[in-house]
Amino acid sequence: MPLLDVRNLTTSFHLRSGVVRAAQNISLQLDRGETLGIVGESGSGKSVTCYSIMRLIPQPPGRIESGEVLFDGQDLLQVSEAQMRDIRGTKISMIFQDPMTSLNPYLRISTQMIEAIRVHEKMDEKQALSKAITALEEVGIPDAASRVRSYPHEFSGGMRQRVMIAIALINDPDLLIADEPTTALDVTVQAQVLDIIKERQQRLGTAVILVTHDLGVVAGTCDKVQVMYAGQVVESGAVDQIFYEPQHAYTQSLQKAIPSLGEKNEALYTITGTPPDLAKPISGCAFYPRCPYPKIKGEEGDPPQLVERADGHCVRECGHCDRSKPIESVLAQEVTEAAE
Amino acid sequence: MSDSDTALREDFLVLENVEQHFDLGRALLTRESKGVVKAVDGISLTIREGEILGIVGESGCGKTTLSRTIMQLIRPTSGRIFLEGKELSALSDADIRAERINFQMIFQDPYASLNPRLTVFTTISEAIRTRHPDVRGEALRGRVIELLRTVGLNPAQMNRYPHEFSGGQRQRVAIARALAPEPKLVIADEPVSALDVSIQSQILNLLKRLSREMGLTMIFVSHDLSVVRYIADRIAVMYRGRIIELGRAETIVDDPRHIYTKALMSAIPQPDPRAERTRERILLEDEPPGADKSPGKDVEDDLEEVTPGHLVSTRPFERRVKEAEAPAQ
Repeated sequence: MPLLDVRNLTTSFHLRSGVVRAAQNISLQLDRGETLGIVGESGSGKSVTCYSIMRLIPQPPGRIESGEVLFDGQDLLQVSEAQMRDIRGTKISMIFQDPMTSLNPYLRISTQMIEAIRVHEKMDEKQALSKAITALEEVGIPDAASRVRSYPHEFSGGMRQRVMIAIALINDPDLLIADEPTTALDVTVQAQVLDIIKERQQRLGTAVILVTHDLGVVAGTCDKVQVMYAGQVVESGAVDQIFYEPQHAYTQSLQKAIPSLGEKNEALYTITGTPPDLAKPISGCAFYPRCPYPKIKGEEGDPPQLVERADGHCVRECGHCDRSKPIESVLAQEVTEAAE
Repeated sequence: MSDSDTALREDFLVLENVEQHFDLGRALLTRESKGVVKAVDGISLTIREGEILGIVGESGCGKTTLSRTIMQLIRPTSGRIFLEGKELSALSDADIRAERINFQMIFQDPYASLNPRLTVFTTISEAIRTRHPDVRGEALRGRVIELLRTVGLNPAQMNRYPHEFSGGQRQRVAIARALAPEPKLVIADEPVSALDVSIQSQILNLLKRLSREMGLTMIFVSHDLSVVRYIADRIAVMYRGRIIELGRAETIVDDPRHIYTKALMSAIPQPDPRAERTRERILLEDEPPGADKSPGKDVEDDLEEVTPGHLVSTRPFERRVKEAEAPAQ
């Protein structure tokens, strides 16, 4: 049994302007010690998926419409709010993108860490403080015993993110959800932060969900990848399958859009247009209007289904574009279009 | 910098030994000086018209301070700055304000740089009217729509407020605003680090095209070397307020000479799982404590030309290489 088994999770936001289907029919499995990368552009439902798993969706306007989130065999969508509060922070923890806004600027690091510890464990303040210091040492903060008394503004961005990781990991959670944990950091600091997460994972068998838009980070850190577009999973599989045999046009386009260290072309490949408005119902393939392949059928039709192949590689295939043509055949024209 | 390109002005922006020091004040009781932070410590540079100069370095290396100094948002402690032969560092505050229409900045944090109480339309139309005060009505609306389209935003959203946009969209609004007054020099401080790859490539193409078509000169500050390599003509690598390596973008990335540049390069994850499993990392030891605040002796002009146009610092570098390490997998 996988540690986390999400089945057909659907989350919508009921706004005055309509119903935004932010995450539709998301399924994912994660074992202990595994890392799952979720990639996709902003608004594709990556964060909504994570927040739904944590049940942190503001309700209303949000609503988890259907699905199951089986964590260790228990459906998190069925437990009471009190039980959920207990699970958050002890069994499942989350790291957010911006360490500046997720730490309270008015409170010392020690106060914030002691609070996090004592919410979940009966412990006096002194014990909690020493536990906090140990946790800071584990994430490589030098001179932790005195730095624990600092305020967040006295730390650099990388240090603050390490504090966040220390807080998130302080109760040895089984699952760590990291929502763009290194986006705001320098490459050197990013490498350190990822190393800390990897090290903890190897030592304690923590499962990690890493939400990111940096395909380099995914390649270096993840075992499995899930590509999301317009609230749907369009492709998922092992990291090598996604990088070396990408099947969906969106995954292929994403990879072509990265300025690689190898080449310096005149223009970068771009995905034209913008993602669809999720407040409107999508007929057919959500990526159809931006698909780089020659179109052979109209947009209308049944929404393509996510099909799992024998090797565990899942793709949402649509038959409306001519996939036999190479993606480059439309590249030149696409680029000039984008430049206009 | 000698280059064969003669059509464009060679000495568009000139920096002569620019320094920006921040005095930390004196200790309360002993009155001893707490030292001086040399955020920018003697930088000389010449930027060609239409050139994109990439500045890379870790946070705290002085790249942001340097760009703010160039725009005269903070006046340099010493040194001179010329834009098209006009000495900016000698202008009065009032004249600088008039001059600032020619340079625009795209800031790192679109959350902080957009006024939350103005709609996107107001923000951009205000910026357009700093250069074209007479444009109004339909013409103004048309320009705003055009700008929004160029940066990949839906013009139908122009009456929304910044909080209604995602971080990426907000940064696009900030870029549209910077482009609105048709500036001569754009300083882009980490403009794409928060954007999705698909949007990032659009923005990079856009910035490159603008520099080509409008002769826009740009300083592109970033920590992402692959992005800088793509967009920049030359790259300057900064470390502790100084340039430690300068040269053509491809040269710096493909053939770095300084150990610091090499270490920086080795920290970048590649979008290639197999390469990632074998990526060698060069880790540097932490710098000696307090080194950034010590007065230090000034060493004049320490850049040596290793190949034509490729300059490397000859200063002693105080950080040693730890062992080379393969990533934990």
